[in-house]
Amino acid sequence: MSQVLHPIEQKLLKSLLEKQNLTPEDLCEKTQLSIDQVRRGIEWLKFKELVQVNESEKNFVALGKMGNEAFEKGLPERQLVNYLKSIDGFSCEMSQAKGQLKNEFSPAIANAKKNGWIEIYENRILLKGYHDTTPEERILKLIASKNPAVSSIDEIGDKNTLDLLKKRPEFLTFTFTKYTTVNLTEKGIETAKNVSSVADVLVRAIDVESLAPTVFAARSHPLQDVINEVREIFIGLGFTEIVGNQTQSSFWNFDALFTPQDHPAREMQDTFYLKGLHAKNIGTKNQISNVSQVHKKGWRYNWKLEESKRLVLRTHTTCVTIKELADNRPEEARIFSIGRVFRNEKVSYKHLVEFNQVEGVVVGKNVSLRDLMGLQREFYLKMGMKKIKFWPTFFPYTEPSLQSMVYNEKLGKWVELFGMGIFRPEVTIPLGIKNPVLAWGGGIERIAMLKFGLDDVRELYNNNLGWLRNVSKCQ
Amino acid sequence: MPVVTLYFDRITSILGKKISKEKIVSTLPFIGLDIEEETKNYVNVEYSPNRPDYSTDYGIVSSLQGLLGIKTGMPKLKIKKGKDAIIVNPSVRKIRPFVTAIAAKNGKLDDETIQQIIVMQEDLHNGIGRRRKKTSIGIHDLDKISFPLTYTTTSKNHKFIPLESSQEMTINEILKKDETGIKYGHLVKNSEKAPVILDSNGHTISFPPIINSERTKISKNTKNILVEITAIEKNAAEDTLAVIANILQDAGFELFSIKISGANNSTPLLKPRIMILDTELVNKILGIKISISKMVSALRKSRLDAQGKGKKIVCTIPRYRTDIFGPMDLIEEVALGYGIENFEPTIPESISVGQKNKVTTTLDSINSVMIGLGYSEVMNLGLVSHRVLYDYTKRDASKIISVSDSKSQEHNILRDAILPGLIDTLSRNIHEPYPQMLFETGTVFLKNNDEIKEEIHLACVSAHNDVSFTEIKSVLQSFLKTTFGLECKTITSSNSMFIEGRSADIFVNNKIGEIGEFLPEITGNFKLRVPIAGFEIRLTGLY
Repeated sequence: MSQVLHPIEQKLLKSLLEKQNLTPEDLCEKTQLSIDQVRRGIEWLKFKELVQVNESEKNFVALGKMGNEAFEKGLPERQLVNYLKSIDGFSCEMSQAKGQLKNEFSPAIANAKKNGWIEIYENRILLKGYHDTTPEERILKLIASKNPAVSSIDEIGDKNTLDLLKKRPEFLTFTFTKYTTVNLTEKGIETAKNVSSVADVLVRAIDVESLAPTVFAARSHPLQDVINEVREIFIGLGFTEIVGNQTQSSFWNFDALFTPQDHPAREMQDTFYLKGLHAKNIGTKNQISNVSQVHKKGWRYNWKLEESKRLVLRTHTTCVTIKELADNRPEEARIFSIGRVFRNEKVSYKHLVEFNQVEGVVVGKNVSLRDLMGLQREFYLKMGMKKIKFWPTFFPYTEPSLQSMVYNEKLGKWVELFGMGIFRPEVTIPLGIKNPVLAWGGGIERIAMLKFGLDDVRELYNNNLGWLRNVSKCQ
Repeated sequence: MPVVTLYFDRITSILGKKISKEKIVSTLPFIGLDIEEETKNYVNVEYSPNRPDYSTDYGIVSSLQGLLGIKTGMPKLKIKKGKDAIIVNPSVRKIRPFVTAIAAKNGKLDDETIQQIIVMQEDLHNGIGRRRKKTSIGIHDLDKISFPLTYTTTSKNHKFIPLESSQEMTINEILKKDETGIKYGHLVKNSEKAPVILDSNGHTISFPPIINSERTKISKNTKNILVEITAIEKNAAEDTLAVIANILQDAGFELFSIKISGANNSTPLLKPRIMILDTELVNKILGIKISISKMVSALRKSRLDAQGKGKKIVCTIPRYRTDIFGPMDLIEEVALGYGIENFEPTIPESISVGQKNKVTTTLDSINSVMIGLGYSEVMNLGLVSHRVLYDYTKRDASKIISVSDSKSQEHNILRDAILPGLIDTLSRNIHEPYPQMLFETGTVFLKNNDEIKEEIHLACVSAHNDVSFTEIKSVLQSFLKTTFGLECKTITSSNSMFIEGRSADIFVNNKIGEIGEFLPEITGNFKLRVPIAGFEIRLTGLY
């Protein structure tokens, strides 16, 4: 069997094999399927050229007003006969009969005469004999039996008699309707025969070649996948993760990182300040006084405690790192953090007000700039990026500072990724951190964009289900 | 970051040696510049404001000459003794106490040099000048000035013709009507009087830090220039002066000192600084082993003077290098002069074992359970709009946390709940097939007595035609049980977002969240037609 038939199709074929020329309604009745299922099945079968669908008109007849009356009381001629039968001598005056039959008197006389039931003699009507049922009465009964439904003219058959009844005013009404019948084609007959013989064996077979409905796997967000991948790499390189608050005092976000209080980066155009909120405790007395000293000496301005208490949405995760280092003053450490950071920027294809940053630091007695470069190379290699180079750059809290450029095969060009450097002594010494601190970090969204081939960073946060459901997990 | 345009023609002539375009462009990143745009005739570069000497092509060429080995060592400032003077009146003390100046003579200005100077002035105002608050610069045609000058204060009714104007204006008028006056007026608004520089004929040459006079404007015909800088901090003023003096010297002018006196002001010396560098530290920090003579040569390529003395190097740093604070800055100069491309990356030895944070481990588990329950993760921002967080959801906004001056109305409130953002996510996906079952974990921000608290929340929503309270409660129960082994109670409550009678508070000992079917009115606000049920719980405290 080359073709697999749906159970609906099988049922329809079987019914049609028993009787051709069925309407969809007939098929409903026979198969116990719903009209929708039947119609759908007919479409499928028609497409497979197993059935032929014929559209034609059908005439229907029903009783009119007078027809109904005649069915209840009998035809006028029958009434006349019955009347005559009830009188002694089986005859009466014309006027008598007229009084009895009223309006139906004339048709009664005409038809009874035509049937040969009566004779009229000197104004008297004589009953000669009668039939028990006339063809007209039979048809009247037939039509009435389906009342109020209509009967197809074809079912009635006796066209002459029907024409006779048609001549009587208001006896019959006629309607014309379009209807559909379904026939098996030759191929259909053959297939239907097969169905009956093999259906039991093949009842569970389905059309394996047709498309199944789509289901969507529940899944993590692609950006989360990239964050997890980055995290795994750091852990693999021996780094321990730290987390911290997204709201921070200016002290840890800026002052502790040797960014002067009048630095342009601290202005409201770039940084989100929380309206009317200040940190109560920002650090130890020592931390505060040492940091303020280094600002006064290095930048020569009037450092203000109030300014360092203003709460900001962290502009980098470095505030979390530096506080961790300041509070624990490790001599050796490998730590990293990943989290949201905020910049007051106009939202565009390049910028969001908020993005994820990863940052790693290494504290050690003998760590060097070359080690910092080596860790970058290792990280990128694990991310599948092989060609990298370094350029000098500037960050307020590292010296020397570098930026890394990574060659992107898809784009065919060098892309700027993480920035890095060694924490300035102006940052580490006031906070009691003795050994050099290598630090590097950057935005994760940029890596995600390269990975997923996006050119608009907003797409990562649109949560467009069309994309989330369809982007492949392994890239 | 500020941008400088480098025309290849000009660069080549200032460089003093024919260098190919390609070589110039490929060298620029190695002196710390980012290439913004490159065309046939010019390249636009971005520089960090810590290098104010990069504010013109002259300063950039000076560095290029060093790295390319055309000219090395410190560019020396040759200042001849001049006879002109500025006298400072003590009345400026409380407003803007310092002035410094220099004369640049016998030079020529072409259109491009004037353009470079204008851009430089603006960059220096914004960077080292902290938007003119700390220092501001006036550049004048020296020949229109009769010395000595007086730096003093006047009433705000004092009149002169400001730059780019044809008529006299009072200082008050300038502050009210002139574009620059409006922009920077706040810097002098607290004093009754205004600082001015007057010449010996009583002409006003400048109203710092706002505007210069039209009278002394420089043009292509200017041969002699006066640079004056006023400031609230003396060192910053002289730093700025040093940057400009170097540029003008490079542009072919001869420098003459201007005598400054009165009210604690003095004539600027613009002398280089000496720093001693420990060569062992250089090798240790950079992870290399190079000889002292190589370090000296690298420092000279970075346009510093250097001389080896035992294991130390005596470095001479020109005044305009305001970015050099200490040894680490000099080490970077060695690295740049040595060539970053010559460093071979290494990996530091370590036996440390990496570890995830406990919060991350927990969130990973939470994600896997929610995904197992058939929910997909979405990520929204923590900064949201008032409309989504409060207006559309009719939530209580009394503890709103907003940020100052956000550039976007869509992102000016810190979220105190995740659910509104999830509904917003559904509203952006009305054309995608249902059911849509989403969850998000993330930080929310709560205000309590002027203190801010951060919590991690989980929220989830289910949207489809047959959604019900029971369905979402099943998810909640299963989530708590599978993740934490916890049972919860849901107690009838009312909630602005949920249908009355299909809304409950979630308790695990204490209240940890809310659950319910969303009101059609609320979903309607988000243009959603499908019924939605959801819950949000506080995770902080559960693990």
